[in-house]
Amino acid sequence: MLGAFAKMRRARPLLGTIVEIDATGASARAEAAIESAFDAIADIHRLMSFHDPASDVSRLNRQAALRPIAVDDRTLQVLRFAIDLHERSGGVFDISVARRLQTLGLLPIHDDDETARRLPGSSWAIELTRDQRVRFHDPNTRIDLGGVAKGFAVDCAIAVLRECGVSEGLVNAGGDLASFGERPWTVCLRDPRTPTRLLQEISVRNEAVASSAGRFDPFRSSTVLTSAIVDPDTGKIVSAIAGASVWARSCMSADALTKVVMLQGERAGPLLRDFRARALFVTADGDVHAMADWREAHLAD
Amino acid sequence: MSDWVRWVAPAALASTAILPAHAVEYLSVAEAQRLAFPSATQFIPIAGGACRAMEGSQALGLVVVDHVIGKHLYIDFSVAIGPDGRIRRVDILKYRESYGGEVQNSSWLAQFVGKSNASALRVGSDIRNISGATLSSYHVTEGVKRVLAACAGRVR
Repeated sequence: MLGAFAKMRRARPLLGTIVEIDATGASARAEAAIESAFDAIADIHRLMSFHDPASDVSRLNRQAALRPIAVDDRTLQVLRFAIDLHERSGGVFDISVARRLQTLGLLPIHDDDETARRLPGSSWAIELTRDQRVRFHDPNTRIDLGGVAKGFAVDCAIAVLRECGVSEGLVNAGGDLASFGERPWTVCLRDPRTPTRLLQEISVRNEAVASSAGRFDPFRSSTVLTSAIVDPDTGKIVSAIAGASVWARSCMSADALTKVVMLQGERAGPLLRDFRARALFVTADGDVHAMADWREAHLAD
Repeated sequence: MSDWVRWVAPAALASTAILPAHAVEYLSVAEAQRLAFPSATQFIPIAGGACRAMEGSQALGLVVVDHVIGKHLYIDFSVAIGPDGRIRRVDILKYRESYGGEVQNSSWLAQFVGKSNASALRVGSDIRNISGATLSSYHVTEGVKRVLAACAGRVR
């Protein structure tokens, strides 16, 4: 038998990627904690999937332009964050890019959606009512939480592990990750242009790191496809920046801010400062830009 | 004054190292079976990599182990199916990512066969945590659908 404390690492396919959970704690408790943490992630998947017609996101996309719709508290929490970031980023972070992504073939068009070919709405049209409902003031608005829900799911899983008495752990949802506990965890950042290579090793302790880059499928190939990040103004896929990583207190912030950095590069600096976040990005030409405090604080020893 | 520091290509990326073959064993087959059906007293092998979970004489469901293999990726997974024919849980058992041609090489794969008790692996020191381009789980999802289709009608 192992000692009183066991380290466990489990993985499941969720959120369109492979989610890993590491936990250290008394062994029976750690196993149950990991189970509950995966359940929490599966809940977020169920609530916020664009593909699942029964999700909150799908219900909003079908009905919120007709009448205010009640959603789960967790969906409301993510929407509140997304609307706030939309405002603070001057419209750069926009969950209503779903239409743009559908036009590019990056999201499916549901059969019952007759307006799919129309121009996209905007996050300005989303209202959270006083009685905790959601209303779209533009019938063309369609939202996709793909740029923020994965980070939120990681935060939820971390909260569950803590509540269950796990002493330290790490949750990694396909590269959007967070750790808690005293121990620093070494994290390898893939080179966004050549994901088979290692760009940098960083150290993560009680904090989150998320990355955005081109889509990557080692099942078929060792090279990257274009990213799935679209400029809400032009509808074009980001091409000047190959990939970005953001360090932040919460994984939801880190996840969402990677999109702003992909679209704005160094101009995202003031917003990152607001969030007490730090970023590194790689341009399509191969230049690496990092915020001045990135290396000192986060390069692994 | 700039918040940013810049390293200019090609020097910026010339020093990046190749990620060595990345292999993780999360669970053995026996562990996956036990986690899926904790009250089972035995697992009886039936055709097609499946085992029937039994509690005494009562059938609790199936655990099916399968894999997906691609150019640089090999993933073993298990699917637990309840008596109602619905998926109870899906676990990744082993994950291997490699760019040196090893994935298609049977002797490289063989080193993982029979390894057990993933809980005893040292975590975090010799196993990598990776951030970067998001991996797709599309192939695992398709693999799970395939298992479910193959097991239709065989659950009880």
